[in-house]
Amino acid sequence: MDESTPPPPESGPPPPPPVAPPTVSGSPTDFLKGVVGKRVVVRLTSGVDYRGVLSCLDGYMNIALEQTEEHVNGRVTNRYGDAFIRGNNVLYISAAEAI
Amino acid sequence: MDPAAPGIQEPFDLIRLSLSERVFVKLRGDRELTGVLHAYDGHMNLILSEVEETILIVEGPDSGKANGTVNVAKRKMEMLFVRGDGVILVAPPSRT
Amino acid sequence: MLIFSVFKTLTDQRVTVELKNDLSITGTLKSVDQFLNIRLDGIKVLDEQRYPHMMAVRNCFIRGSVVRYVQIPKEHVDVQLLEDATRREAANTVKR
Repeated sequence: MDESTPPPPESGPPPPPPVAPPTVSGSPTDFLKGVVGKRVVVRLTSGVDYRGVLSCLDGYMNIALEQTEEHVNGRVTNRYGDAFIRGNNVLYISAAEAI
Repeated sequence: MDPAAPGIQEPFDLIRLSLSERVFVKLRGDRELTGVLHAYDGHMNLILSEVEETILIVEGPDSGKANGTVNVAKRKMEMLFVRGDGVILVAPPSRT
Repeated sequence: MLIFSVFKTLTDQRVTVELKNDLSITGTLKSVDQFLNIRLDGIKVLDEQRYPHMMAVRNCFIRGSVVRYVQIPKEHVDVQLLEDATRREAANTVKR
């Protein structure tokens, strides 16, 4: 048998159509809806991280967090029961638990 | 949506519930304030009274002092308007 | 709009405007607009040694965006009125 010969077309069952893995589907908005009430990491453009439970957010990405820890260079530098973060400072929001 | 905190539908609710309470404000430029909140708007412009400002001054490599030394300057102001564009974070007094 | 109204009630009062470049200017508030641009008369710069070029200046226009703080006289602020007006504005603001 010549191994370089391509298999004849339609010789077996057709390959399944490509589908996006379910865990990464959805829009950014779906992601944000999904993380409300969950533990998140909010990174600011300054590099400071805030870890806490996401209470809510708005269209400017203003964020309300609960049980917040401020992390600078891996160290906890502050704790807040609640915290409001002005949206312009936000670099990203990352889910810290399964959505 | 089922926010963990009762009565908070949007982030600004957190600020509204802090009116006439002492709040902590983190600002750009390594500044922090505590003061009693009397007014705010959608830009996060604030009006605070009995304000104490803390400025963190981190010594650089060419300051002649040990690198990373943090100096703190404090001052008090009776009634202060804070422009919203400098605000990073506002923390209300902890509700228990 | 709320903060704009507050500043309008403070016209002809002495205020201290601190800019983002650390320059502090005390003067009589002559006018303010919706951007919180500020006109001051009879000004005095806090640290004249550091800003000698300001010594001849008697009045100025400050672009709102360069302001960090405005220290305002607490006798001319009714905090109860402010908090009520803030709650009213928050209730009327369309949620985004």
